[in-house]
Amino acid sequence: MSALEIRNVRKNYGSVETLKGIDIALQSGEFLVLLGSSGCGKSTLLNIIAGLAEATSGDVLIGGRSILGVHPKNRDIAMVFQSYALYPNLTVRRNIGFGLEMRGVAADEREKAVAEAARLLQIEALLDRKPSQLSGGQRQRVAIGRALVRKPQVFLFDEPLSNLDAKLRLEMRTELKRLHQMLQTTVVYVTHDQIEAMTLASRIAVMRDGRIEQLGTPEEIYNEPATLYVAGFVGAPSMNMLQATVQGTMLAIDGAEASLPLPARFRGAVRDGARVVVGIRPEALRVAADAAAPSLPVEIEVVELTGPELVTTARIGSQRLTACLPPASRVAKGQASSFAFSEDALRLFDPDTGKAF
Amino acid sequence: MSSTWMTTRAWLLMLPLLVVMVAVIGWPLVDTVGLSFTDAKLVGTGGNYVGFDNYTNMLSSSNFSRTLVTTTLFAVISVAAEMVIGVLAALLLNQQFHGRAILRALMILPWALPTVVNATLWRLIYNPEYGALNAALTQLNLIDAYRSWLGEPGTALTALIVADCWKNFPLVALIALAALQAVPRDITAASLVDGAGPFNRFRFVILPYLAGPLMVALVLRTIEAFKVFDIIWVMTRGGPANSTRTLSILVYQEAFSFQRAGSGASLALIVTLLVTVLAVAYAALVRKTAGSAA
Repeated sequence: MSALEIRNVRKNYGSVETLKGIDIALQSGEFLVLLGSSGCGKSTLLNIIAGLAEATSGDVLIGGRSILGVHPKNRDIAMVFQSYALYPNLTVRRNIGFGLEMRGVAADEREKAVAEAARLLQIEALLDRKPSQLSGGQRQRVAIGRALVRKPQVFLFDEPLSNLDAKLRLEMRTELKRLHQMLQTTVVYVTHDQIEAMTLASRIAVMRDGRIEQLGTPEEIYNEPATLYVAGFVGAPSMNMLQATVQGTMLAIDGAEASLPLPARFRGAVRDGARVVVGIRPEALRVAADAAAPSLPVEIEVVELTGPELVTTARIGSQRLTACLPPASRVAKGQASSFAFSEDALRLFDPDTGKAF
Repeated sequence: MSSTWMTTRAWLLMLPLLVVMVAVIGWPLVDTVGLSFTDAKLVGTGGNYVGFDNYTNMLSSSNFSRTLVTTTLFAVISVAAEMVIGVLAALLLNQQFHGRAILRALMILPWALPTVVNATLWRLIYNPEYGALNAALTQLNLIDAYRSWLGEPGTALTALIVADCWKNFPLVALIALAALQAVPRDITAASLVDGAGPFNRFRFVILPYLAGPLMVALVLRTIEAFKVFDIIWVMTRGGPANSTRTLSILVYQEAFSFQRAGSGASLALIVTLLVTVLAVAYAALVRKTAGSAA
């Protein structure tokens, strides 16, 4: 039995269809990240699971029980909001214990649960403060504590790190990962940050225009993007996409005097003369040292040292290519060079449907 | 630019207003203080200096103590009712429903109408011969015969309080409605997930956002209610048998009906002092509420 199951959920606002049939089943302990840009429907889906919005059709089950029409408090969920949503006039202690208090849990039991959550989140010293006396990171810890203390079947996170500065976001991300590894709870987490998605998720659902574009493990999403959209959305810098044409067993790069051998696994899948998009991750490129691996002749345009790597933008004919090279690589602006890569790193997409071959 | 010049300029810019304020408030106030120590009549000579006689006479008179009780009753009951009705109206008007905008606009009407118009309308409603209230209550079999609501000492003050509430609850509702818009959606959602029912949601989630603005409404309304004159003057003139006579009505009667300017001035200053004490106490309360809400 799945911990959480979403069956063909649709949502209309008037004539606008924000969710166009979502199907997901989560096993207990899974960390699902709903990833997508603003307006893709990820927060709407989370609100439907929480009971803060009604689905137009479809069903949501928690622990095998349909929860549509069930009041949010009876769904056995807890939610953490982007704006923390702490009660401003209650102390941290009462904020964390509020859900238990509303459910009539005895004071001593409540106190024990609050102390345990505070210990896990290292906020024991803050229990008697009001939210206005806390920093953003501390507030988010309290908000997480408020969810933890309830021990629900499913945790819902709505962009919980978006209001934090970059350094704190990194810290809290690790903290969330640590908590999940320790507690093994089922989580649905909404974000538009692909690094958060990659680092936290056991599975990612990339959403676009109210549909799931791809549902898979972070490795699958990164290594085997199902569509051009996923390939472009996940990864920074994003995947290189070169327009090319199939010529027999070769791929001729459009607008350049360059061609690559068509990897054997694609032969038969693409017909001769077809236009394709060649996808290569910037991390898969290196400066060619020998003639053994396939390579592309390029002219270096911009070189940016980020510290751990050299982000290099180069031209290949009329198209552009980005490579993340080791910092010691010998590349300079204006220099002619050649980028090599392993054949396995190459992806092919249909430019008309956007789907991977 | 030097700070001296900034200060001078600020004073210069404020000067016209200060002159007007001294002329229309400062000077009459000083004059009233002077007058309160004399036995001056409204017309005729300036009167003779009588020391604190006006004050001691006034404070020891049964008229004053009875009027103070009536004023306090009027202020406390009408303001309390306005706050409760105003907040309830705001909570209702904050819900999503068709025609909400029209209802919100309609609600302001009693407050927007001049007090005299409101008071006249209520006199018609309370009319002992053809009033709507009598008609409604007899048709519902709640009373046997038409009554003179404003003519009986037992009901006149209550009838006035109802009319005053009707006029002033929209102000409270308007302030509360504005404050309700400021309650973050996420916090309401969090309280739903946490399992707070309507009462707890109001107490823990909504009230903290309402407290500051409501305190301002409370201060404004209490001070106004304590000084109430026009609605009572139009509806009952302080009667019957002085049962609706408030301090402002007493000041008017003393100074103008009985033409005792000196005595009236002393009473006016006592009222001013009472209202000032109220205002200062409330201002401190507002600061405290604002401080705890931040």
